[in-house]
Amino acid sequence: MKNVLLKADCLSKSFSSGGRLSHVLKNIDLELYRGDFTVIMGASGAGKSTLLYALSGMDTPSLGTISFGDQVISGLSQDGLAVFRREHCGFVFQQIHLIDGMSVMDNVLAAGLLVSRNKKALAARAEELFSAVGISKETWKKFPAQISGGEAQRVGIVRALINEPEILFADEPTGALNSKTGLDVLDTLTRFNQAGQSIVMVTHDMRSARRGNRILYLKDGVVLGECELGAYVHQDQERHRKLAAFLSEMGW
Amino acid sequence: MKKFVLLAGANLRKAKGQTTAIVALILLAALMLNLWLMLSLDYKQNFDRCHERLHAEHVTLAVDGDSAQLRDFLEKTLEEDRRTADYSMDEAMHMVGMFAYNGGEVNSELVFLDKETALSRSVGRVEILEEGDIQSGIYMPVLYRSEEIEIGKTIQVSIGSQEVSYKVCGFFNSVMAGSHNCAMCQLILTRDKYDELEELGYAPKSTLCSVRLNDRTESEDFEAALKNAVSFRFPQARSVSNSYALVSQSRYISQMICSGILSAMAFFILLIALIVIGSNIINYIQENMKNLGALKAIGYTSRQLKGALQVQLLGLSLLAALTGTGISYLVFPFINTMMISQTGIPYRIRFLPVPFLMTLGILGGAVALAVWFSSRRIGRTEPVTAFRQGVATHNFKRDHLPLEKTGAPLQLALALKTTLSGIRHNVTICFTMLVLSLVLVFSGLMTRNVIIDMDPFINLIVGETADSCINISAEAEEAFLEEMMADRRVEKVYLYNSLEVRHVNGAALIVTMSEDFAHVNNTDIVFEGRFPRYDNEIVIAAKYAGEKGLQLGDEITITAQGEEADFVITGFTQISNNLGKDCLLTRQGYQRLGSLQNASYYLNLAKDVDIDGFNADVKEQFGDQVNAVINIGATVEGAASVYVSLMTMIVAAILVLSVLVIAFVLYLLVRTMLSSKKREYGILKALGFTTGQLVLQTALVFMPAVTVSTAVGMTVCCLVINPLTALFLRPIGIVKCTFIVPVGYMAAAGVGLILMAFGIACLMSLKVRKIAPRALLAGEE
Repeated sequence: MKNVLLKADCLSKSFSSGGRLSHVLKNIDLELYRGDFTVIMGASGAGKSTLLYALSGMDTPSLGTISFGDQVISGLSQDGLAVFRREHCGFVFQQIHLIDGMSVMDNVLAAGLLVSRNKKALAARAEELFSAVGISKETWKKFPAQISGGEAQRVGIVRALINEPEILFADEPTGALNSKTGLDVLDTLTRFNQAGQSIVMVTHDMRSARRGNRILYLKDGVVLGECELGAYVHQDQERHRKLAAFLSEMGW
Repeated sequence: MKKFVLLAGANLRKAKGQTTAIVALILLAALMLNLWLMLSLDYKQNFDRCHERLHAEHVTLAVDGDSAQLRDFLEKTLEEDRRTADYSMDEAMHMVGMFAYNGGEVNSELVFLDKETALSRSVGRVEILEEGDIQSGIYMPVLYRSEEIEIGKTIQVSIGSQEVSYKVCGFFNSVMAGSHNCAMCQLILTRDKYDELEELGYAPKSTLCSVRLNDRTESEDFEAALKNAVSFRFPQARSVSNSYALVSQSRYISQMICSGILSAMAFFILLIALIVIGSNIINYIQENMKNLGALKAIGYTSRQLKGALQVQLLGLSLLAALTGTGISYLVFPFINTMMISQTGIPYRIRFLPVPFLMTLGILGGAVALAVWFSSRRIGRTEPVTAFRQGVATHNFKRDHLPLEKTGAPLQLALALKTTLSGIRHNVTICFTMLVLSLVLVFSGLMTRNVIIDMDPFINLIVGETADSCINISAEAEEAFLEEMMADRRVEKVYLYNSLEVRHVNGAALIVTMSEDFAHVNNTDIVFEGRFPRYDNEIVIAAKYAGEKGLQLGDEITITAQGEEADFVITGFTQISNNLGKDCLLTRQGYQRLGSLQNASYYLNLAKDVDIDGFNADVKEQFGDQVNAVINIGATVEGAASVYVSLMTMIVAAILVLSVLVIAFVLYLLVRTMLSSKKREYGILKALGFTTGQLVLQTALVFMPAVTVSTAVGMTVCCLVINPLTALFLRPIGIVKCTFIVPVGYMAAAGVGLILMAFGIACLMSLKVRKIAPRALLAGEE
């Protein structure tokens, strides 16, 4: 029996633009489970990122509820959502979004110190995470503009994980990277998932999607279908075929 | 040009808030600048215009007596002097006197003239400004129009030791004798009242001589020479005189104070506005580097891009300056009313093109220079570099305050990081807070020493004060002293008598003498050296000493009553009554020059003694031997209340302006910071920072600069405010200012200023609410 981490009921999101109402998400019912590596796929404009923002408390739904355990987060104020994000979520962005004026270490600690005041413990965890993602000690004092895109994204993952979030949201984490560094980032995420970290990732890249154990396909604001791939195993051709068939069925 | 306007328009639409704040600062600067220029370029010239219109004199002399001998002597003296251009000589009456005004008393040498004579004098005539139907009574100088002195009301005038009542018929304007600041004050009586007063004999008949000179700059020398000649020929005749130099300065002290404060405020606000404009342009270039690169790539030249900024800011500044000068004409009537209560000379407000053009020119030029200076970077940036976001936006050489090592709370640490990496906003803040500290210290100083307790102000400006002053004839002096010593109501009685002497090869000086200066109440008036102790010692005004290059220990020759004597300078004094042309002698010292026909004694009375009652008793006891009695406190209060209300308004105005300036500056800085840190704040919000945390963080960014500059500013200003004020008051003879600096109040005000800055910064930072993390994720940076 899977443990439900996040639940959406009748989730809808509409945007008004130029006097016209655009319904991006339509009555989505969804459960996300602890320990899963959930991948949200779909064509451009399908509503993938909007779903991610809504689920992560980055944005508020127009209708419906989102619950995290017993807590309904869809009714929280902006500050309430901020507290929810800092205590339960981690974020990895496509554009990485490290803060230019802060060193690599400070980028991580700025997020960590929001939740914990124990600097020693935080620094130790940061060091452990840096080591896990392959960021050398010399890089810690560098500024984002002084490191490569791959390194920056791995710093982004460390920042996302510093508070030991229950769920990690990743929005196209390899979108701004070349294939080699993108693969490194995916390997990193996979390793953390295998260690028990729940991950929700938006992607339109099949190679990235293979890392997930559960694939959701979004089309025109509704979850058109989902596919259970099971735990990721390197070079598992059967999983690849199963995903390809699912995506083909979804009209990918 | 069209391109400039299009680009400028686009820039303006994007930064409405910053534009509004810059406009407001320029508007304030224009308002101050135009007021200052109007006051300094035209207001004082009103005195000369009025002087010319009334064909007024450059030297006035009223001498007791109207004998043919005296008139012949005066005529001969004036006609033989090549400096005389024209003169008139008329019959008048003159005596020390007083009347109630402004809750106090005006004590002055009163010169009574018959109305027809006053209006028809060939030199020094007066003009009636307002009159009613009353045919018999008194016309008062327009300065004294008040609740107590109105047409139809009856006023009491003390003339010597007598009192008379008159109905007020109207008000007049006299340039050289229309205020107690002129050494004499004219009062005009209708013919019947004039004859009545003459018959009563309260004021001796005198000859009023008004002289126009070929060169008005010689007025002081001429006055001294004429007075010396008269006193030499008629040693018993009491006289009073004034000069153009004295009156033109003393009637415009309030103008000088206001003008000085306005110029300082205008200069500071303009400088703040220029720093803010420069800082905004640099930020604009940094934030819009890609757009500027794109414009350059499609063919816009650097000149055009800089030109657009010039058009935008110069256009705005000129519009703001136009509005500011317009508003200055709305404010000017209030300042005019305030000024008239001290100058007593009516001023008609009209459009003044020279100050107007100068205001536009100074502001336009300064803004153009600031824009040119700060937009030079546009010319140095190539399109390709600009596309790559131009120059690095952060200095990577140093990681200020690593979070790992700092002990500060997170928000404070993040704020300090920003503080340490942004020098521009620190400079702007520091400059603003230093200026505001100065303003606050000045306001505190004035509040403590003028508004709340005016004793320090009076001690500095007036010099010596006591409860009562009694002028007694020389023959009754001994009996008077004996009586006063025996009177239980009298705590202290001492000679404090002023007369006129002349420094040989120098100017006429007012000499104040005492038997022993150890008895005076205000020993601060000699601020360097010591009071004279022996008959060959003199203390002179520091301002005069500076002008003549005189040092302590120098010997100077003084002449009076036809005698000359040498005196050694033992100290420097500062008394503003005679605009820095004073000296102190012992009585024995003065007696080397002549004797006293009457003597003024200052008296300290016991607590709860009714001063007016005491004065009345003395008058009754000594009768005609008493020439004048003065309630010093009431007199000083009457004269000083004008300055107190003037200072209250100035302090209130500059405090309001300070709040406005700090609000505008912080608004601009916060707005600029939020604009440049929008992405960073979006990331922080996405990571879980709440709006409150980011508001606090933003406000804290400014606090180190605010706190340090306020603390430094307040400390330094407290140390230099007295010398600065003395510099400001130098024209009226004050060289060393000894105002009490209320340190406790200053410290509290400093803390208040810091808290206010923090509050304003927090309020301005509330815009953080509008930064949405979703926009960041959606790529709407």
